[in-house]
Amino acid sequence: MKPPPFRYAAPTTVEEVLDLLAANADAEPRVLAGGQSLVPLMNFRLAQPGFLVDLRLVEALTTLRTERDVFVIGAMVRQSAVERSPEVALAAPLLVEALGYVAHPPIRNSGTVGGSLAHADPSAELPAVALALDAELLTAGPRGTRTIPAAEFFRGPFTTALEPGEILTEVRIPRREGVGGYAFVEFARTHGNFALVGVAAVIEMEKDIVTGASITLSGVASTPVRAAAAERALAGTSADAATIEVAVDAAADELSPAGDLHGSTATRTGIARNCLRRGIQLALSRAQDRR
Amino acid sequence: MTTASRPAPPPIRTHKDGRNWVGKSIRRLEDPKFLRGRGGYIGDMTLPGMLHVAVLSSPYAHARITGINTNAALAAPGVHAVITGAQAAELTDPLPDFGPNPAAHTWRCLAVEKVRYVGEGVAVVVADSRYLAEDALALIDVEYEPLPPVVDPERALDEGAPLVHEDLGSNCAYERTFQFGEVDRDFADADIVITDRLRWRRSGGQPLETVGAIADFDIATGQLTVHTNSLSFTSYLFMVAGTLKIPANKLDIRPMPAGGSFGSKLFATKPTVIAAMCSRAVGRPVVYLEDRVDNISNCDHHGSDRVYDVQLALMRDGTMRSIKIDTVDDYGAYIQFGVGHHGNALAQVVGPYRIASVEYRVRAALTNKNQQGAYRGFGSEVNNWMLEQMVDKAARELGLDPVEIRRRNFIRDFPYFIPTGNVYDSGDYDGVLDKALKLAEYDHWRSEQVKAREEGRYIGIGLITAQERSVFSATEFWFWFDTPGAPVTSMPESVTLKVDATGGITATLYSCAFWGNSPETMVAQLVAEEFDCDPHDVSIVYQGSKNGLPATGPGGSRTTVMLAGAVEGATAKIKAKARRATGYMLEANPDDLEWVDGGYQVKGSPEARKTLAEIAVMLHLFKHSFPEDMESGLEESKVFDHPYTTMPSADRKDLGVFYPFMGHACHVPVIEVDIETGQVSFLSYAAVHDCGTLVNPRSLAGHIVGGTAQGIGTALYEEFVYDEDGQLLTSSFLDYLIPTAMEVPELKIGHHETPSPWTPHGIKGGGEGGRMMAPAAINVAVNDALAPLGVRLTELPMTPDRILAAIRAARESR
Amino acid sequence: MDKHDITLIVNGHSSTVSVEPRKLLVDVLREDLGLKGTHIGCEHGVCGTCTVLLNGRSIRSCITFAVQADGAEIRTVEGLANGADLHPLQDEFWTKQGLQCGYCTPGMLMRACEIIEQNPDPSPEQVREGIASNLCRCTGYQFIIEAVCAAAGRMRGEEQRPDQTTMPTEAKA
Repeated sequence: MKPPPFRYAAPTTVEEVLDLLAANADAEPRVLAGGQSLVPLMNFRLAQPGFLVDLRLVEALTTLRTERDVFVIGAMVRQSAVERSPEVALAAPLLVEALGYVAHPPIRNSGTVGGSLAHADPSAELPAVALALDAELLTAGPRGTRTIPAAEFFRGPFTTALEPGEILTEVRIPRREGVGGYAFVEFARTHGNFALVGVAAVIEMEKDIVTGASITLSGVASTPVRAAAAERALAGTSADAATIEVAVDAAADELSPAGDLHGSTATRTGIARNCLRRGIQLALSRAQDRR
Repeated sequence: MTTASRPAPPPIRTHKDGRNWVGKSIRRLEDPKFLRGRGGYIGDMTLPGMLHVAVLSSPYAHARITGINTNAALAAPGVHAVITGAQAAELTDPLPDFGPNPAAHTWRCLAVEKVRYVGEGVAVVVADSRYLAEDALALIDVEYEPLPPVVDPERALDEGAPLVHEDLGSNCAYERTFQFGEVDRDFADADIVITDRLRWRRSGGQPLETVGAIADFDIATGQLTVHTNSLSFTSYLFMVAGTLKIPANKLDIRPMPAGGSFGSKLFATKPTVIAAMCSRAVGRPVVYLEDRVDNISNCDHHGSDRVYDVQLALMRDGTMRSIKIDTVDDYGAYIQFGVGHHGNALAQVVGPYRIASVEYRVRAALTNKNQQGAYRGFGSEVNNWMLEQMVDKAARELGLDPVEIRRRNFIRDFPYFIPTGNVYDSGDYDGVLDKALKLAEYDHWRSEQVKAREEGRYIGIGLITAQERSVFSATEFWFWFDTPGAPVTSMPESVTLKVDATGGITATLYSCAFWGNSPETMVAQLVAEEFDCDPHDVSIVYQGSKNGLPATGPGGSRTTVMLAGAVEGATAKIKAKARRATGYMLEANPDDLEWVDGGYQVKGSPEARKTLAEIAVMLHLFKHSFPEDMESGLEESKVFDHPYTTMPSADRKDLGVFYPFMGHACHVPVIEVDIETGQVSFLSYAAVHDCGTLVNPRSLAGHIVGGTAQGIGTALYEEFVYDEDGQLLTSSFLDYLIPTAMEVPELKIGHHETPSPWTPHGIKGGGEGGRMMAPAAINVAVNDALAPLGVRLTELPMTPDRILAAIRAARESR
Repeated sequence: MDKHDITLIVNGHSSTVSVEPRKLLVDVLREDLGLKGTHIGCEHGVCGTCTVLLNGRSIRSCITFAVQADGAEIRTVEGLANGADLHPLQDEFWTKQGLQCGYCTPGMLMRACEIIEQNPDPSPEQVREGIASNLCRCTGYQFIIEAVCAAAGRMRGEEQRPDQTTMPTEAKA
C-alpha cells in the first residue's frame, strides 16, 4: 500500500503556501499538516494529490497564545502539545478532554488541531468541540483572510467552508475560564478507534439552575450537530435525573444517524442517548463542583 | 464404538521424577535478536537484483474476465513484467489442493476466466520497487462481466444458485452424515431434547507480519530457491514443485522466522508460486510480500464460518445421552484443506462429557469469498463453542446449576474412547474445575451478580469446560472418503543432534520455522534435560527442504510433543553410541555404565567416568581407539512419526485414533453488558489449563493469554464482513477490529497437570488452547448476563448491533 | 518525480539521503539506511508496529513521509541497546516473555520508552492504556505490561525485583 507520486514543497510563510497552491492548482494540490488522515488515504490510493504543500515549517501557524477574550491555537500546533498545555487546560478544558479520545498518543504527536478541523471527518472529536465552544476558524486564501464561525465551517462529510487555495490558519476559542462544567464522552468499539458517537457539553449553572448549555454531537450526522432540543430542555431547570432523561429523549428524537457495519441507526441512536446522558451528567457535576 | 477390534495402544510410559530443565520458565533463546530488531523476517531480506511484485485484485465478487490489456502497465517506469491469470495458467499448474475435488474446484495463483471473490488476484506486476509495481497496477485495464454473487452459505446450497465453480456442478463441495454409536436409540431414551441454531462468523489470524516469499530461479542450474515465512510442511511442500512444473529435487524452500501465524502461514503456497513464477519469467530474484489489504482479502486463511442446527438429548437429571449436529460451513471460493476443520471437531466432539452417540452432518458450501485456511483451533474451537452453548441452554431449561450439570457428565476414566473412535489419553476435569472456581472467586461473583441485578446492572459469569486436542494424525485428512485417493499416514517431525569435538551440542530443526512459538527454546530445554547441559549452550539451526529430513511443521499444537519425540529418539541413538564408546575408553562392559550428570560412569564406581566432551573428542578424532564398525563423529537423527494413530474402520463408524493427546481447560470470564450501548466489558477472567507436563510454563501462559485475546476478538470484535453483493466491508484494520490492550483483561492463569501416558515427559500440546475456550466462555457469560431479559445470543461476534437487536426483540416479544 | 535530499539523524548518526517525496519514513529507514528493526504491519497507521521516536515523541513511520522528518532526530530500536548491554526494557521484555513472534516488539519498545519518559512510575493500568496504541497479536499484552513496569522500576534506580512468573508452576522437585 504505497502512495502515488507527488511533488512537494515545505515553505516557511503563509504567503508562500498560498502561492504554491495557486501555482499548482491544476495538479490537485493539498496541504500537508500532520498527515495522520491524509497519508493513510494516500497509502490506500483513495487520495492522489499531485502536489503537497507541507505546512510544518510555517512558524506563523504554530502559535499558542492567550488574548484578552480568546485563546488562539495555530492550525499546525500538534494535538499532543495542545493536550499538554497548561493554558489550554485553563482556557478550554473541554478541548483537552476531547483530545484524550483522539486516536492514540502517537497519532496526536503528529496530528494537528487545524488538520483535524479542516479534514472534517463526521466522527471526529475536534469539530464537535469547536462547535460546542463557539470557536471561530480563521483562514487565509486568494481572497484574503476570513473569520468563519464553527457553526458555518462544517458543511458536510469531509467538506468545510474552505475554498480551493484557502487554508485554515488559526482557531479562536472564546475564553470562559472557570465558567460552567464541561465534558467530552464518546463511544468507540475498541480503544482509540473512530467513535460511533461523541458528545461535547458545556453547562453553566447559577444557584443550581442551568443558565446555559452548549451540547454538540459527532458521528450522528454528516457534520457535528448541536443538540438544541436537549439544550432547551435543560435550560432553566435544576437538571435532575428526570429532566436529563427528557433532554436525552429530546435530542435522540432529532437524530437519525446513518448505519453501517459497526452500528445500525438504532444502535447509534441508543449509543447517542448513552453518551448524551453521561456527558450531561459529567458536565453538570463539574459545574456544581465549580461553585 | 467398536471396542472389539481396536488396536492396542502404545505402551504406557513412565516419566522420570525430578527434572532440571523441563518445567522451567527459562528466558527464550530466540529473543535477543528480536529485541534488537535483528529478527531477519522475510521483509528484511534483500537479494542482489531483487524485484518486487504487486497483485492486481478483483473489485468484483463474481465476474467473468472478458478482457485484460497490460500494454500501458508494461510500458510504465521500472516494470519488468506483467503476467495475467491466463498467462499464469500456462506457466504454472494449479496450486496444491487437499480439497475433495481439485479438478473441479481448481485453484490457481491468479484467476483465469472468472474471478470468484473480491480480492482475488487477476494479474501481477514485477517492478523495481513495490511503489512502481503499484503504480503500474493502476494502468492495467480489465474488463469484467459481473455475475450474480452467492454470499449466504445456505442459499449457496439452494437449487439454481449461481455456481462458484461450474465444473463442480454444485456449490456443495462435500456432504456427508456420520453416525457414531446408537443415536436413534439414545434420542428415544432421552427425557428432553434441547434444540438450537447457532452462527459462528469468520475471523482470521491476522498476524502483524503478512505472508511473503522471495524466489530465485537460476536458469543455469534449474534450481529454484525460495525463502518464505510459510510454516513449511517439508513432507508435503514438494507439491509446490509440481505447480511450478519443476522437479521436486530442484526445489529448496528455506524457512524464515515468521512474525506470527496463528494458522495463516500454514502451507502458504500462493506467495511462493507467484514469486517463483515471476522470478522465472524475469530471470532475477523476486519478492512477493502481501500488504495488509492483500492479507485480509486474498490470503486464503479465513477461519471457520458455520451455521449449526443442533439437538442435544439429555435425561431430566442432566446426564447427556446423545447429540445430533448439522453444520453448513462457508468455505469461500476454494477448499484447500477439504473439511479437515471438521476432523478437528470430531476429535473432541463430545467435549469432556460422557455422551454416548453422535450424529454429525457436514456440508461444505462454496461462496464468493476468500477461502478458509487455518485459524488457531482449526475448527475445534467452533465445536467447543457450540457444545458449551448447548450445555448452557440445557442447564437453564432443566433448572440445573452450570457447574453441577458439567460434573454430572464428566469423563473420569482414562484412556477414554469417544464415540468417533478418537481417544482422550488422560485428564482430571474435576481437578481443573475446582481450581478454576477457586481462582475465579466464583461464589463471590455469583453474589455480586445478585447485587448487580438489583441495581439494574447486567453481570454474567461464563463458566465453560472444554477440550484442547493436540497432535493430529494424517488420517484426519482422508477419513472423509470411503475410497480416498491418498490415504497418507505420515506426519513426522525430525531432529538431528550433533555433539562436536568440544562436547557442544547442535540441534538441527527441519522446516520447523519460528512463528512466535519457540521451537528453539523447547528443543534446547529438552536437549538440556537429556544431556544435563545448560539450554542456552545448545545451538539450534534450521535446515530447508533440500537437505531436510521429513518434518510436517507446526499445527494442531503438535510441535512440542513431536519435537520431544524426535529429541528423545536422537538422544537415544547418541547415548547408545556414547555408551558403547565409553565401554572401550574405560575398558568396561557397556551394560555396567549409567548416564549421570553429563557423562557415562561405571555403576558403583563414579570415579570411572567420561564426560560427553571426553567421549565426543575421542569419537571425532581417535578412530583407532574404536572397533571397525564404529564410525567417527557423534551425530544422530530421528524421524519421529505420530506415536499413536490407528486406521478408521471401513464403514467409518469408527474413525480410529487421530488426536489422542487431549488437554482440557476451564475458563471463567466475568463480564458486564451495557444494555444501552451493547458494549461488553470484563470484570475478571480466570483460566485454568491442563496441557500435561509443561516444558516452559511461562511460555505456555503467554500462549494462553494471547489465544484468549484472539478469542475475545472472535467473540466480540472481529469479523470479515461481506455484504449481499460480496463486497468485503472489512478490508483494513479500520474495520477489522483487533483488540487493543484495553479490550483484553488481566488474566488469572492456573495450571493443572495430567501427564500423557504416551508422550515424552507426558507433554501435551497447548498453543491453541486460549482461543479454543474464550469464544465459548464469553458467549455463555453474555447469555448469563442477559438471561433476566430473556435474551440469548447465538451468533458471533456479539457486536453492539447484535446484542441490542436481541434485547429489542426480547422486549417486543413480551 | 524529483528526489529531495534530506538529513535524518538516526540513533545519533546523521545521514543524508536522496528520496522521492512519497517514500515513507519506514521504507527510508529500512531500505536507504539499512535499519530493518522498524517493521511494517498495516501501512495505514492503526497497528503501531512502525513506531519510532521523532524528536523525542513516538510517531507512526508508515504514515509519515521521510521528507517530513528532514532534520529530525530519530530513535529506533537499534539505538536502544548499549553494545552488548540491553536496555532495561529489552532485558525485562526478555525476562517476562513480553514477546512471542517479536514483530510488534520494536514499535512496542519505542512506545514504552515514551510512556516511561512521560511517567517514570506508571501503574499497570496506566501502562495498559499507554500501550493500547500498539497492537500485539501474540501476547495478549499481559507480559508486556509486566515488562514495562519492571523496566520502569529499574530505570528509576530501584532494585531489580527477582524474576517472577505469573505461573504457580515450579519445576518438579
